[in-house]
Amino acid sequence: MTVTIEPLHIQLQPYLLARKKFYQLLHLLFSMPANVDALFEIKKEVTFKELLGQLHEGGKILDDFFQHLNLEQIKREQQEFQRLFIGPGPLGAPPWESYYRSREQLLFEEWTYQIRERYHRFGLQYCKENNEPDDHLLLELEFMVYLSDLCLFATKDHRLDKLLATQISFLEEHLLIWIPYFCEKVIENTSSQLYLGAAMLLEDFLSFDLESLVEVREGLLLCLKNIH
Amino acid sequence: MSEKHPLTNMLANKMQRRTFLKWSGAIGLPVIAGGIGTKMLVERNKEAKAVSTKDNEKIISTCSVNNCGGRCVIKAHVKDGVVVRVSTDSQESGDLSTPPLRACVRGRNYRRMLYHPDRLKYPMKRVGKRGEGKFKRISWDEATRTIASEVKRIGDKYGPESRYDNYASGQCWGLHGGSASVRKLLSLTGGFLNYRNDYSSGAGNVATPFTYGTNNSGSSFDSLLHSKYIILWGQNPSEMIFSTPYREYLMQAKKNGARIIVIDPRYTDTAIVFADEWIPILPTTDNAMMDAMGYVIITENLQDQAFLDKYCLGFDGEHMPDGVAKVESLKSYLLGENDGTPKTPEWAEKICQIPANKIREIAREYAKTKPAALIQGWGPQRHAYGEQIMRGGAQLACLTGNVGKLGGWAAGTGYWNRSNIVFPFSYDNPVKASIPCFLWTKAVEMGTEMTAADGLEGTERLNTNIKLIFNMAGNMLINQHADINKTRKLLEDESKVEFIVVSDIFMTPSAKFADILLPGTTFFERYDIGIPWCFGDYVVFGEKTIEPLYECRDEYDVFAEVADKLGVKEKYTEGRTILDLVKESVERTRKELDATFPTFEDFRQKGVHHFKYDGPLVGFKEQIDDFENNRFETPSGKIELFSKTLWDMNQHDEIPAIAKYIPSWEGPEDPLKAQYPLQLISWHYKRRCHSTYDNQEWLEEAAKQEMWLNPKDADKRGIKNGDRVQVFNERGSLLIDVKVTPRITPGVAGIPQGAWYTPDTNGQDQRGSVNVLTSQRPTPLAKATPQLTNLVEVKKA
Ligand code: SF4
Repeated sequence: MTVTIEPLHIQLQPYLLARKKFYQLLHLLFSMPANVDALFEIKKEVTFKELLGQLHEGGKILDDFFQHLNLEQIKREQQEFQRLFIGPGPLGAPPWESYYRSREQLLFEEWTYQIRERYHRFGLQYCKENNEPDDHLLLELEFMVYLSDLCLFATKDHRLDKLLATQISFLEEHLLIWIPYFCEKVIENTSSQLYLGAAMLLEDFLSFDLESLVEVREGLLLCLKNIH
Repeated sequence: MSEKHPLTNMLANKMQRRTFLKWSGAIGLPVIAGGIGTKMLVERNKEAKAVSTKDNEKIISTCSVNNCGGRCVIKAHVKDGVVVRVSTDSQESGDLSTPPLRACVRGRNYRRMLYHPDRLKYPMKRVGKRGEGKFKRISWDEATRTIASEVKRIGDKYGPESRYDNYASGQCWGLHGGSASVRKLLSLTGGFLNYRNDYSSGAGNVATPFTYGTNNSGSSFDSLLHSKYIILWGQNPSEMIFSTPYREYLMQAKKNGARIIVIDPRYTDTAIVFADEWIPILPTTDNAMMDAMGYVIITENLQDQAFLDKYCLGFDGEHMPDGVAKVESLKSYLLGENDGTPKTPEWAEKICQIPANKIREIAREYAKTKPAALIQGWGPQRHAYGEQIMRGGAQLACLTGNVGKLGGWAAGTGYWNRSNIVFPFSYDNPVKASIPCFLWTKAVEMGTEMTAADGLEGTERLNTNIKLIFNMAGNMLINQHADINKTRKLLEDESKVEFIVVSDIFMTPSAKFADILLPGTTFFERYDIGIPWCFGDYVVFGEKTIEPLYECRDEYDVFAEVADKLGVKEKYTEGRTILDLVKESVERTRKELDATFPTFEDFRQKGVHHFKYDGPLVGFKEQIDDFENNRFETPSGKIELFSKTLWDMNQHDEIPAIAKYIPSWEGPEDPLKAQYPLQLISWHYKRRCHSTYDNQEWLEEAAKQEMWLNPKDADKRGIKNGDRVQVFNERGSLLIDVKVTPRITPGVAGIPQGAWYTPDTNGQDQRGSVNVLTSQRPTPLAKATPQLTNLVEVKKA
């Protein structure tokens, strides 16, 4: 019996789709908790408990949070969201890369440019370019969603490889450099379960994602070598 | 199956922590896909690409319009729409007709201010109790709709006098801005309660004209190049700047050989740089020294008798106004003929702590060295009897005949101005009633009970208390006004002021009291023309460097939108944008004031315009050179050392007709000293412009917020350099670190003004915000601020 080996990108579909969803979920958790329906749907559909086994503290906290979710709670989270990320006044956890990387803790520093460059290379730009900084957490996450989405549709192996490499470097050179400091700040400055849990999950997942991307890419290259 | 997926299998074996993906793989897509509602990353606009090359750094010249007195050339290095660096005027010094306008230490921070993460970014409405600091983000439409409806509601219910635009100086030395915009809007919809005067030279502004008929008693800075002797009496241009090139002229004056004396309770940066001698003095006692100098001058016959005889009223018995006894003259007062107390240096020494012989020496030097310039700063007049200080300085200038002479100086408030531009954005308030700006809290509390005795003008009585306050780019709503604790209670009572609108770029203590909070723009984000206080022959072009960040907006545009909602937009804008205003100013300046003023494009390109003159402006030169044809603008046409108008007010103890030393409440002779033994003053700190930039970390590194205390006073209290102390009196209490230094007079504590009020839960300020300790009791004549008159005690925290 001859075994037809499925194309690599097909083999990777479940993996790629799962990461994309994870980024989408993170994006949702760090967005303004205004969409009440979406939150209740998460409560219904997503069981964070299943993350427990692997010592993911963030999962436990989020599980708790969503189990007790109610309208009152959402209102409080909206205020907390505003206090941490919007203002007015000093923010609990400024959600911009520049803030953590510049010596002077400013916005619109060189990292904002670097991020902008990355978007431009993919024919994208922040709709508020030059009006708000490009290196906001939600934008960087959206960019990762975008890239993982591209992977899903990449049928050429070397294209897929390139996309994986792009994401690896985006994680290594950007997200994973500042997100630990950002999460630390969130954890220091809030007692909100939503944001505590989300911050822990974010940090854990990003380092996991980098690790898995590197491995997948190694595997991919290995397979390519064997095939050819 | 497994053979079909060699890659996946390999991963399954290698990956330790797969739970994440197993888990997220199981989540239904619709649930989370909904999350990324609108995409923020959009397809890139192709046209923009061409512009955005690597090295297209442009240098754009602009100008800050804060309230520091200086106006500097600020060069923004812009790349791809982002300011990457800020530099300043690179023009060489040397030619004093076009002095470089270089930024001070605060200017080094401008880029940091622009991109500071704490910028106010979106309009907000208050959701908690007023002052609590809880806000909710709203749309601009909601913000302007709310403002429009409250402006109307409160105007309809209480009348236009209930609406007030509070004194504010965060961003004020340009053509437009928050206050101008609000006033225009209110004027078009019924009007608003006016205020007069200011917090800077409030006592002087009212007092000096009683002597000279005007506040324009100064001369242009280049006149100092001819001075032989300069007294800077409580003036500190090294820190508060005053006018950007002023220090260049002072330095040149010094090089030309002028001897410079600084009289100040602190050994200031100005004293360090410029002074040949520092005379430490006790706050509120300046008039004692002035009186004694006058005494020395006339007893040693050093006065310019011809000058006094010809130009002045009230020097001696022979020159008194009709109906006033000879013994009320200045000379009689100084010699003690009336009150039995000759104002000898020994008498003054006991009061002001300056050795009698030193007073004699300064008096003689000042009277004998001609020409001599006695220049008064305004700190000394922010005192209980500040009016006396400004008239007292003028009195000495007259005794020595230094008025109207090149290299001399008439003292008093000391404004001078000969370079003007047209301000095209103006308003005409139908309400004529006005209050002294310092009494706005009184007008909130009991406006309807105010009378002429409180400085109410334009009406007998107000029909209402203040019910609506606009506080545009200012911190006078709580931080910079006297007696913060009292003001706070007043504002927290939402039944008193019913609606407060604040616009600012940071979350200041005043902004916390907003009902609607608006994110304003910095000078980088707007067109303007920067004008130095009154002093300086230059204006600086304020180029819009970048588009406003976030949802920040210029107040001019905000109130145009409010005007639209109230149906008066056309009248408000007259079809003009901010850029149109700037262009109109330039064009009309060329047409109406000065044909040599550059065109808009020239001005924009050069970034600065220096007005040129053949020679210095000398205050009162016309009067002195040709008295027959040029009289002073006083009732008698002479310099009124004795003012009959003041005499007729019949409050001789507190409002004397000649300048006199009046022992001050909470001064060194107040019995309250037993309980609160230290006199507390404040000063304009080099790291802040009033309270602006207090939240800027860099500047705090440059000069930290700390209180100065003399080693003698520190020792008595067991306080060491660097200790944290509590400073308190009946009005409030604050914590601050101490700098123990002989640079401040014993008996005096100095706290740099402008720190942001940061109360703990008990209301004790943690930042050293001096106004928790200051008093709202106004000066008697001008109803001006006495914020440098305070008694306090200090102890280790
Ligand atoms: S604070 Fe005043 S003197 Fe300093 S840079 Fe700004 S405008 Fe110039």
